[in-house]
Amino acid sequence: MNKEKKNEEKEELRIGVYVCDCGSNIAGVVDCAAVAREIEKLDDVVIVRENKYTCSDSGQEEIKKDIKKHKLNRVVVASCSPRLHEPTFRKCVESAGLNRYLFEMANIREHCSWVHPKNPTEATEKAKDLTKMAVAKARKLKPLPKIQSPVINEALVVGGGVAGIQAALDLADMGFKTYLVEKEPSIGGHMAALDKTFPTIDCSICILGPKMSDAGNHPNIELLTYSEIESVEGYIGNFKVKVRKKARYITDECNGCGECWKVCPVITKNEFDLGLGPRKAIYIPFPQAVPLKATIDMNACIECGLCEEVCEREGAIDFKQEDEIIELNVGTIIVATGFTDYDPSGEYGYGEYDNVLTGMDYERLINAAGPTLGNVTRKDGKKPKSIAWIQCVGSRNKDNTHCSNVCCMYAMKEAMQIKEKYPDTEVYIFYIDIRAFGKDFEEFYKRLMNKGVRFIRGVPAEIKETPEKNLKIVVENTILGRVCEYEVEMVVLSTGIMPNTDAQEMQRKLNISRTADGFFMEAHPKLRPVDTPTDGIYLAGCSQGPKDIPNSVSQAKGAAASAAIPMIRGVVEPDSTIASVDLDKCTNCALCAKYCPYNAIVHEKNKPLKIIEAACKGCGTCAAICPVGAMEQEGFTDAQLISEIEAVLEENPEEKILAFLCNWCSYAGADTAGISRFEYPPNVRIIKYMCSGRASARLVDKAFELNAGMVLVSGCHIGDCHYIDGNYSCEERMDKYRKTLEAKAIDPRRFHVEWFSAAEGGEFAEYMKELEDMRKKLQEEGKLTPWKKKAKKKP
Amino acid sequence: MSNRSSIDGIIERSRAYNCVQCAKCSSVCPLSGVDESFSPRLIAEKILLGFDEILYEKGLWTCLTCGACDDKCPSDVDYRGFIRELRGKSRQREEVWKCAHGGVLQSLMRMMSDSALKQDRVGWITGDMKVADKGEILFFVGCLPYFDIIFEDFGVKSTDIAGSAVKIFNHLGVTPVVMQDERCCGHDLLWSGDTENFMRLAKNNLKQIKKTGAVKVVTSCPECYRTLKLDYAEYFGEQDFEVLHFSEYLSDSINRGELVFNEACRLNGRVTYQDPCRLGRHLGVYEQPRDVLGSIPGACLGELELNRDRAVCCGSSCWINCGQSSKEIQKRKLEEAKSIADLLVTACPKCQIHLKCAMGDLEGMDMDVVDLTVLAARALGYLV
Repeated sequence: MNKEKKNEEKEELRIGVYVCDCGSNIAGVVDCAAVAREIEKLDDVVIVRENKYTCSDSGQEEIKKDIKKHKLNRVVVASCSPRLHEPTFRKCVESAGLNRYLFEMANIREHCSWVHPKNPTEATEKAKDLTKMAVAKARKLKPLPKIQSPVINEALVVGGGVAGIQAALDLADMGFKTYLVEKEPSIGGHMAALDKTFPTIDCSICILGPKMSDAGNHPNIELLTYSEIESVEGYIGNFKVKVRKKARYITDECNGCGECWKVCPVITKNEFDLGLGPRKAIYIPFPQAVPLKATIDMNACIECGLCEEVCEREGAIDFKQEDEIIELNVGTIIVATGFTDYDPSGEYGYGEYDNVLTGMDYERLINAAGPTLGNVTRKDGKKPKSIAWIQCVGSRNKDNTHCSNVCCMYAMKEAMQIKEKYPDTEVYIFYIDIRAFGKDFEEFYKRLMNKGVRFIRGVPAEIKETPEKNLKIVVENTILGRVCEYEVEMVVLSTGIMPNTDAQEMQRKLNISRTADGFFMEAHPKLRPVDTPTDGIYLAGCSQGPKDIPNSVSQAKGAAASAAIPMIRGVVEPDSTIASVDLDKCTNCALCAKYCPYNAIVHEKNKPLKIIEAACKGCGTCAAICPVGAMEQEGFTDAQLISEIEAVLEENPEEKILAFLCNWCSYAGADTAGISRFEYPPNVRIIKYMCSGRASARLVDKAFELNAGMVLVSGCHIGDCHYIDGNYSCEERMDKYRKTLEAKAIDPRRFHVEWFSAAEGGEFAEYMKELEDMRKKLQEEGKLTPWKKKAKKKP
Repeated sequence: MSNRSSIDGIIERSRAYNCVQCAKCSSVCPLSGVDESFSPRLIAEKILLGFDEILYEKGLWTCLTCGACDDKCPSDVDYRGFIRELRGKSRQREEVWKCAHGGVLQSLMRMMSDSALKQDRVGWITGDMKVADKGEILFFVGCLPYFDIIFEDFGVKSTDIAGSAVKIFNHLGVTPVVMQDERCCGHDLLWSGDTENFMRLAKNNLKQIKKTGAVKVVTSCPECYRTLKLDYAEYFGEQDFEVLHFSEYLSDSINRGELVFNEACRLNGRVTYQDPCRLGRHLGVYEQPRDVLGSIPGACLGELELNRDRAVCCGSSCWINCGQSSKEIQKRKLEEAKSIADLLVTACPKCQIHLKCAMGDLEGMDMDVVDLTVLAARALGYLV
C-alpha cells in the first residue's frame, strides 16, 4: 500500500481536457473556445481540445490517440451529464489502456447551457468553473481495481398483466427460472377484462388466454397469485425479495371444478366486472382464470361451510389458512405493475346518473362473458338508440397532464362494435384531438367514419340527466363555431390511464423513481426506456406510462432481454467507488460500522476494522461519519471533493451557491431541470456525491472557510434513499452541524438542507431562485463573511 | 403588431398558451348559450395565433368575466385575468368599447379619481343612524349614492342597502365608520382596462381607510369586496385591514348568537338566491348568504337549477355590456326564479339593478327583488 502511494506521488500528471460543443446544445450558449483557452492555463493540463461531438466515434478516437501520443494519465470531458455518457467515456479511456476511474466529467449541458440560455456570459464563466473543478478532482483520482459480483440466474416479474406475462414467458423460454407475482387471484390484468382489441377487433381473452395458460404451465415459471411484494433488498445480481402470499383459504388441491361456487349462498359484486355483475364469496373472477383455483373472499364469507361439504377434493378448502411470507433470491426484477383506471366520480354525473359509464364499464357490458352477456343496455334494461363518447376524461388537464394514449382508439373501437352490432345506433364522439398514431390506426378511424359515426370537435364541461334518464349535452362544435345541444340515451366517458394506486409504495420498496406524472421513471427517456435508474430493475407496460397492448408487449420483450443480459453474463461489475480504510488513522471507534446501511463494515474488539467489499454499495456514509478521516469512499475522497470545493471558490466565492447533490435523486433532478429547460440563477455550482450520506461537516466547513455564499446539502426525499437510509444520517448530521454555525459567525441562513426527487426539476429550479434571493439579501446585509478559525492555542 | 410583446406577457400570465381548444368554456359560458358568435376559446385562439384585430372586436367587451369558464378549464387558463388585461390593450382605440348608459357611470368613476373632487355622498344617512369618522369597523358604501340618481326611474333605491347595513350595525351595538369622502373602489375601471384611474381611486381610498384606523372593512357590494380584498392587495401589497362581505359579517353575528331575527317579522314565502359572480366564483362565498336566509323566520329557500359555483351571471358586468344577450340571460333567470319563488334575493346591488331593469323591458316578468342586507334589516323589524 505504502509503496503504491510513493509511486503515485512521483507520478507526473498529464491531463487531457475535451470541451464538447454538443452541436449547438452547449456551444449555442457557452463560448466553448473561451472555456478551452482558460483550461489550457491550468497546471498539469497537457492538451485541451474543443470538439463538436466528443461522444461521437471520431471524438472518442481522438481521446484514445491523445492518451497514447501525449501519454495522458487523466482525462476530463466537459459535456453532458455523467448520468448519460460517463460509462461511454470510461470505456473509451479503458480501451486506450487507462484505468476507467482516471476519467472525470464536467456537466456543462444539463447543468449549464440548457438552464442558462439567456445568460451566455455567466454560463461561460460557469462552464469554466465546472471544468476547473473536474480538472482539480482529476488530479486527485486514483486507479481503482475492478470488482465483480455474481448474478443469480433467477428473475422476478411483478405484475401479471399482459406485459408481465410476456416478460415472464420470454425469460422462462430463455431458460431462467422466473417468479411471476400477481396481487389478484388470477393473472391477466386489464387485458383479460377487455372485450375486443383495436384496430383488429380481435377477441382480447382469445389472444391473451393461451398466453396465460402458457405462463401457468411453463416449467420455468412459478406463479405467485394473490400475492404482494412485501420488501426488496439487495442489488443487481442478488435481490432478496419477501412476498406476502395472501390466504385464499384454498390449497393447491383445488382443480377449479366449480361445485363450490354453485352452492355458495353469498352474492357480492364482482370486482372483475367493475361491480356491474355478481360473484359468490367463493369464486374465480372469470372463467379463463389462471390458476384455475377458487378464492374465498373472507369479507363476504359467512363461513356456512356449504362449499366444504360439496368439495370432492380432500383438503382443497382450508379455512385456517394464513398469509405466508415467501423469500425469493433473484438476480433481476421486471416491474410490470400496470395502471389504475381514472375514477371520474363526480364528473359528468358518473355514479349519479343511470346511463353514464366509463370505457371499462362498457367493455364489460359488450363482452359476451360479461354481466349482460354482451348486451349493451341501459340501467332500465332498454337498448340505447344513441350513445356519445366523451374523450380526455381525466387526461390532458391541469391535474393529470399526460395523454393516456389509448382512449381515442378504444372509444373508436367501442363505437365500431356498437355500429357493427346495431348499425342504427346514433353514435357521437366528442373529442379534442383524435390521436390515431399506431399501425393501421388511421385506417381504422377512416373505416369508422364510413360507418356514419359523428365526430364532433369539442367536449362539454358537464352533462345533464333528463327525466327520461337520457343525457343532455351542450357543447360548442369548434369547427362550426356553434354551440349545439344533443340528447343521447347513453354516455361513455373515455377515462384515462393513471399510475397504479400502489405506485408510490412500489417505488419505495424497489427504490426506483417516478416522473412528475406519477409513472415509473426510465433510466433515459430515449436510450434506456426499459431500464430504471437502479441497476437490475427493468420496466414493462403501463407502469412506465400509458401504452396500448402491442407497445406493452414490445416493452415486455425488451425488458426481458435486458434483464437476461446480466444473468447470461453471470457477473456484474459494480462501481469500484466503495469504502476503504486507512488503518494507521483508524481509532476503531466503530461509528462507521454503526451507520453503514449494508452492515458491510465488521468491527470486532481488538481486531482491525474490516470492510466486506462485496457488501459495500458505495454510499460514503462511513467516510462522512468517521471522526478522524480514516474512512474514505474511493472516487469521492475528502481530497477529491475538497479539491473541487477549492477550485470553484477560488474567485468570488461569496457570489456562488455551492450545491452538493446525490447521484440518484437531486443530481438527477438538476438534470431534469436541464432537460425541461427550467432556468435558474447561473451562479449555482454543483458537486456530485453518490449519496447525501457522504455529506460531512468537513466538506461544508471547507466551503464556508473559503466563504461560499450559500451551501446546499441535498439528497433523495426521506424514505427514498437509494442506499436505504443515507439521507437519514445526513439529516441527523447536518442538524447537528447547523448548530455549530453560530460559533463560526456564519449566518445560518447560508446553509440549507433540502431533498429533491429525480422528477423535481421545476422544484429544484425554483429552490435555486429562492437561494439566490436569500444570498443577495444576505450580501446586501453584509453577512457573507468567511469563517475565521481561531488559532489553536498551543498547550 | 407593435404591442405584441406585451400581449405575449398577458398570454404567459394567464397561461392562455395552455389552451387546447377543447371548448369546455363555451359549453358553460352563459353568453355562448345565448349568443352564437361568442366563444371564449375562439378569442384565446385568435390572440394566440396573432389575429390581434380581435382586440378591437366586441367579443372582448361582451365577456362577463363571470369565471364560469375558469372553473371548468382543464388547462388552468385564468380566462378572466386574460380578458381583463386584454381590455387594457383594447382601450387604446376608443371606438371599440362603448359602455352602456353612454358611459356615464365610467365618467363618474373617473371624476372620482380626482382627489380634489368634493362629493356629497352621505345624504342617505338619517337621524336614526349612528356613524363615526374613526373606529375599528368601517362600512364601505361604494357607488350606491350615485346609482340612486342614475337609476331613479325604475325604482331601485340602492342606498337602502347602506341604510340597512348601518341600522344592523347599530342594532349590534356597533357604530361603523362611514367615510365622508369615500371613492369608487375602482372595480369597473380595472375590469375595463383603465388601470391608471383604478390606481388613483385605490390610492385615495387606502389613504382614507388608514386615517380611520379601521381593522375591518365591511361592504355590501361583491365588486367592492373583490377589489378591496384581492386587487388592492395585488397592486399595493397586503393591507392591514380585513375585508368582509356584509353577508359574512351577518353570518358571523348569527353564529355568535348576537343577531337574532324577529319572529314577529316573519317572511312567509318562497325565496331564491342569486349568487353574484364576484362573491361566489371569484371568492368562494356561497354558504354565508344562505345561512343568513336560513335564519330569517319563514323564509323558505329554493335553489335555482344552476347555483353556487355553477350560478349564471345576472347578465351584465362593469356597466359595459347590456344588449340582447344580457336581456336573454336575465329573462331566463327571471322566468326560472318566478317558477320557484316569490322573492328573488341578491347580495349585489348591481344584480338587483340589472334584474329590475330587465323587468321593465320584459312583459310579465315582475317579481320582488331585494338585497340580502335590506331583507335582514326588515327581519329585525326595521322599516326599509
